[in-house]
Amino acid sequence: MKEGKKYFKSPYIKGDEKYLHNEFSEQLPLDHFVSNQDEKSNNTSRRDFLKFLGFSTAAAVLSSCEAPVVKSVPYLNQPEEIIPGVANYYASSYFIENNFANILVKTREGRPISVSSNKDFDKKTNLDGGLNSRGYASVLSLYDSNRIKNPLKNNNKIAWKNLDSEIKKELNVISKKGKKIVFLSSTIISPSLKELLNSFKNKYNNTEFVFFDTISKSSFLESNKKCFGESFIPTYNFDKAKTIVSFEADFLGNWLDSGHGRKYSQLRDPGKNMSRHYQFESLLSLTGSNADKRVPVNSSEQLNYLLYIFSKISSSDKFLEIKNLNHKSILDNICKELLANKGKSLVISGSSDVNQQVIVNAINYLLDNYAKTINYNNKSNLYSSINSDFENLINDIKNNDVGAIIINDLNIAYYHPSITELLNQVSLKVIMSDSHNETTALMDYVCPKSHYLESWGDANPYSSVYCIQQPTINPLFDSRQVEQNLLNWMGSNISYYDFLKSFYKSLGYKKSWNKILHDGFCSIDYTKNNLIFSSETAIDILNNFNLSDTSSDDLYLTLYSKTSMGDGYQSNNPWLQELPDPISKVTWDNYLTISPIHAKKLGLKNWHVANGGLNGDLVNLKFNDFIIKVPVYIQPGQKENVLGLSFGYGRENSGKVASGVGVNAYNFYQKFNLVHKNNFSIEKIVGEEHEFACTQNSHTMMGRSIVKETTLEEYLVNPKAGNKDFKLESYKGKVSPNELNLYEEWKPKVHFWNMSIDLNKCNGCGACVIACHAENNVPVVGKEEVRKNRDMHWLRIDRYYSSDMNKDLADEQGLGAIEMYRLMEEPASSENLEVVFQPVMCQHCNQAPCENVCPVAATTHSNEGLNQMTYNRCIGTRYCMNNCPYKVRRFNWFNYKDNDDFDYNMNDDLGKMVLNPDVTVRARGVMEKCSMCIQNIQKSKLDAKKEKRKIKDGEVHIACESACDTGAIVFGDALDQKSKISKEKKHPRTYALLEELNTQPSVFYKTKVRNKIS
Amino acid sequence: MFNKLILYFSLFYLTLGLNFSHSQVDYLVGHDIQKGEELFKANCTSCHKLGDEKKARLIGPGLNVEIFEEYTEQWLIDWIRNSSALIESGDEQAIAIFEEYNQSVMTAFPTFSDDDIKDILAYIENPPVEEVAIVEEESKEIIETKSISNTTLLLVALTLLSILGFLIFIKNFIKKASNIEETFFQGFKKLVLSNLALVIIIVHVFVLALVVIGWQSLSKIGITQNYKPAQPIEFSHKVHAGEQGIDCNYCHSSARKGKHSNIPSANVCMNCHANIVEGPKHGTKEIAKIYKAVGYDVDSRSYIEGYEQQPIKWVRIHNLPNHAYFNHSQHVVAGNIECQECHGAIEEMDVVYQQEKLTMGWCINCHRDSKIDLDNPYYHEYDEWVEKHKKADLSVEDIGGLECGKCHY
Repeated sequence: MKEGKKYFKSPYIKGDEKYLHNEFSEQLPLDHFVSNQDEKSNNTSRRDFLKFLGFSTAAAVLSSCEAPVVKSVPYLNQPEEIIPGVANYYASSYFIENNFANILVKTREGRPISVSSNKDFDKKTNLDGGLNSRGYASVLSLYDSNRIKNPLKNNNKIAWKNLDSEIKKELNVISKKGKKIVFLSSTIISPSLKELLNSFKNKYNNTEFVFFDTISKSSFLESNKKCFGESFIPTYNFDKAKTIVSFEADFLGNWLDSGHGRKYSQLRDPGKNMSRHYQFESLLSLTGSNADKRVPVNSSEQLNYLLYIFSKISSSDKFLEIKNLNHKSILDNICKELLANKGKSLVISGSSDVNQQVIVNAINYLLDNYAKTINYNNKSNLYSSINSDFENLINDIKNNDVGAIIINDLNIAYYHPSITELLNQVSLKVIMSDSHNETTALMDYVCPKSHYLESWGDANPYSSVYCIQQPTINPLFDSRQVEQNLLNWMGSNISYYDFLKSFYKSLGYKKSWNKILHDGFCSIDYTKNNLIFSSETAIDILNNFNLSDTSSDDLYLTLYSKTSMGDGYQSNNPWLQELPDPISKVTWDNYLTISPIHAKKLGLKNWHVANGGLNGDLVNLKFNDFIIKVPVYIQPGQKENVLGLSFGYGRENSGKVASGVGVNAYNFYQKFNLVHKNNFSIEKIVGEEHEFACTQNSHTMMGRSIVKETTLEEYLVNPKAGNKDFKLESYKGKVSPNELNLYEEWKPKVHFWNMSIDLNKCNGCGACVIACHAENNVPVVGKEEVRKNRDMHWLRIDRYYSSDMNKDLADEQGLGAIEMYRLMEEPASSENLEVVFQPVMCQHCNQAPCENVCPVAATTHSNEGLNQMTYNRCIGTRYCMNNCPYKVRRFNWFNYKDNDDFDYNMNDDLGKMVLNPDVTVRARGVMEKCSMCIQNIQKSKLDAKKEKRKIKDGEVHIACESACDTGAIVFGDALDQKSKISKEKKHPRTYALLEELNTQPSVFYKTKVRNKIS
Repeated sequence: MFNKLILYFSLFYLTLGLNFSHSQVDYLVGHDIQKGEELFKANCTSCHKLGDEKKARLIGPGLNVEIFEEYTEQWLIDWIRNSSALIESGDEQAIAIFEEYNQSVMTAFPTFSDDDIKDILAYIENPPVEEVAIVEEESKEIIETKSISNTTLLLVALTLLSILGFLIFIKNFIKKASNIEETFFQGFKKLVLSNLALVIIIVHVFVLALVVIGWQSLSKIGITQNYKPAQPIEFSHKVHAGEQGIDCNYCHSSARKGKHSNIPSANVCMNCHANIVEGPKHGTKEIAKIYKAVGYDVDSRSYIEGYEQQPIKWVRIHNLPNHAYFNHSQHVVAGNIECQECHGAIEEMDVVYQQEKLTMGWCINCHRDSKIDLDNPYYHEYDEWVEKHKKADLSVEDIGGLECGKCHY
């Protein structure tokens, strides 16, 4: 064989000569495990190794002879509602990072172990609030070891009593001096807290409230102020919009609400009513990946396109002749559709530019969308910060007008790094924060804030609803909630709980206090005044609009936030750090995304190394005088000459998980602009490379039908379009794989647990992955292990890019197989790129390849169709993992609990409190995988048995299914002929993954149908 | 020497045997007193105990011979039959007692005949001899958490004996062999070769014995059958569940509702022990531990305010490994099985111990044998299956009770 012949590994493989002849260029790190690391001469001979082995075996045998004494400590006074071993659920509210959700908290023996969205709230209010992956992970932040454990004064312990009296004294002094007392907070949606703040202002007259939302939505508020005379954010009815045109608005990821996906998906069922979604964006976002037509454009072009649409709709001709306007045919098509769907369409933008938002408003006004798809009566209160307010605060501090600053859980030194030095000029600096971070280090007084699961509260997230937040555990540390602090500093003796109760009574809503605690929310009347759109403003703005000069060489930097990390509030949460970005599938990192063509031009590369890990070049990103070193990630689908950088990383002194991961993008978030043009530069760093931890290394399906896809047009003609049954050639002719089966057919007895995943509704957000973590005690393994493909996610979401090459095209062009497959590896060009998502968990095959190869029968089949994994039986041969065609089995390479090498939540007593007591924590050396939440199935069955009835359809809930806001996942008993799942099973779109292998999975998928332009 | 050894061993076994034999004492009681005892236990024990007036006080005073010094027989008969009437009649002694006991009225017993009451009084006059000494001895035995079982001792003794026999056998042969002018090893070799069959048998027996002992002891690792730990409070199930007939669910209420069968919280104990301050075995000593935990003042019969309560740390007897999921309500409610089937005759145990092995084999065997309650509508889904397979009934095995995933997840 010719030397140096290379076989395909991945599109970015780099021939690494080092490994060509010498696979193990370094010694295996055996010493690390068996030797005493304190000693310098840590060479362990084979004899020593055998000694260790012998001693440890003997020790293990001896220690197992003596059973430990287990203590059992009952309550002295058992609370009536607590039954050991039975979970309690409490309705509460979640409001973090401007995301609101009404939630149910599951507690066991008095400790919250998971949260989920309150389905009653979703059903009865039909609002956008919903729980995203960060919301599901928030329960772990309660048990964060980085939380502040007691009040601090200049980093020294202080008692609450002393802290209160000192602060009161200083506030009085400052108040007398006539200096400002600034209360800095992100948006407050709690009516009772607002009431408290007003009384606080009455007590200390020079108090000023400044609201600062980490990722500002000021452009929405200001544009509405211009158009309607009132600054507000409306609620959007995606469930009524037949045509959706989005400009850089990542509404399925992070836009205004976390729950837009639920309403959006209601019109995504293939059929005559299916909506069509256009997305214009510069980066590849989660929303863009789900669009029917996605067009990569940079932000300058986006403005031109909006102007063109406006002109077309308003039949003015001012902007009809824009120079270099691409995609004219698509735009014309959009205009036609928008006009045909007046009142049933939606044009939205994610821009931080007020003028662009005004144009969007004008378009929607012309399309008659207000009061139809845009509800301006039922307003969203989730964002309230106006950029100029914060800029005024900066000026006030500079002018020494501010005597005291009280910060309400806002890590301002991280979100706005340039404020750090200014803060020294303020004489009294107080922060209420739940964990140590960049800002707490700068403060005079640090008041530990109770976590939301430990606090009382209320919320008025939308005009039409009032919600209650109730504690589900006593404060773990010596912490207090913000409201209580304010009450104490005002000299009041009452507890916030009493205050809230009387406040609620004063509101005069129908529901009693106990009833609202039970329900979590109540609907309220709100004023419905018809706002009048002032067309003059819009026309004024448009008339004075000067199109900026654009050239193809312009360089853009777009800042965005990942669905996994958001604005970085929860970056010390290991679940979120390990949740792969839905698009890049990179964990534990942020990076500069760049389009493939652009990267090629600059000589920037990504490549895979011998252990499968992805490496990338690094660049220096220069912005004014500021330079940071950041790795580049080549992102197919991204617009050329646009770079993307995500928020939420680059934390310092913020706990063992977050500190030192990635770079801080807020350094570039100046003047609240998400897009920068030409005022920065990048430069490749030679000789350095960055190691990524990526969970998916192959990007295309290589011509196979893993995700089956069709268009709406074809689907309407033939419901089985795109879902051709697989047939094998045999002596009998073409037959289905099952007819050539060697095994005896497996039959369920009375239950057959099946799951259906609708690929049209799954948008890849990842909430199910985190819900699965919380339910099943999935360990966090860290960046190094993820890089070695040892991630432990029981449920992963595969993301595939389309390719420009396919078999038909290759035949047409007369390409050989090698050339064809080489081209298939390449994701399609940015313009044509389509993205599909596919959640893959154990498929619970009824002819399971894994079961046959287990030498100890540790993985077996149940009579209910579940593929069961018995950890205590497993000896870790990994044959099953090898034989699984879906690659869903996960091996415990190490003990992930009580192991300092994996210093995450399972390494401290506090973090372990989140573990679900019904699920085993797996030990080293055993295989694990999705169990279909068998603990929940068993529980529901037992409930039915105890109540002497049959099990009901929809009674059994599993973690991923109940976490899926869009209803993509359906779970149930397929033997129950009336069940939802048995209907799904017969649906023409339903198919089994890799059906040619005839594994007969209990999990099946529904074909993706895109509503493409014909 | 050999004879001596045998003597030692027999002595050893004799003492061992003696240790385990129980001695019983019978009390001689008269006819009247026996009837009186029956009546006393049936009617009086909820408020009275035998003993000193103050020390044995429950709700009413402790009763002993002293009452006869203070009151006449007729007065006692009147008082017992209807104390309220006596108080109303203005009897000074009666009013004095009424005031002393916070004006609480003693239950009237109008159905008692004079003879009945006399029997009771006779019983009070001649109380049974207390069992205290024996009780203490037994409780000491309990405190040894792990006693070596008889079989193990027997095995050890047998092994020692056989080794001894083997050594004597060799010694005698060597004695013989040493007369001939051979080296020790030559002699030994010759000896072995000349008695090959015997040596082979001995070696086989020896190896077999080792294997059997090894196997048995290995298979006991992790099995804590008969585990009988000392508890912080010497609580007797025999008294509560057996003699007093308290339903298991009164204290272990969550066994029907959830996965765990709870150890009752101290407030459940206090439902009764707020008044019952003294037990039949340990007097006030053990019950006082509950009061210490919750902060209860016996004299004033009230909880101490601001008391820092101390939890009671019981020792868990029935331990399953963490990877085994067990749900009490599944077995008690859905499976309709009695507590005793797994826990043994709890109502006869003074100190609870683990009666069953709690091994997987033990679980599985029960799952094979136990029948399903086909009247439960949940199982109606199996009707078709039962008919098809022509089975009279279903066992837990038939519905998947042997599958790994039913208990391990």
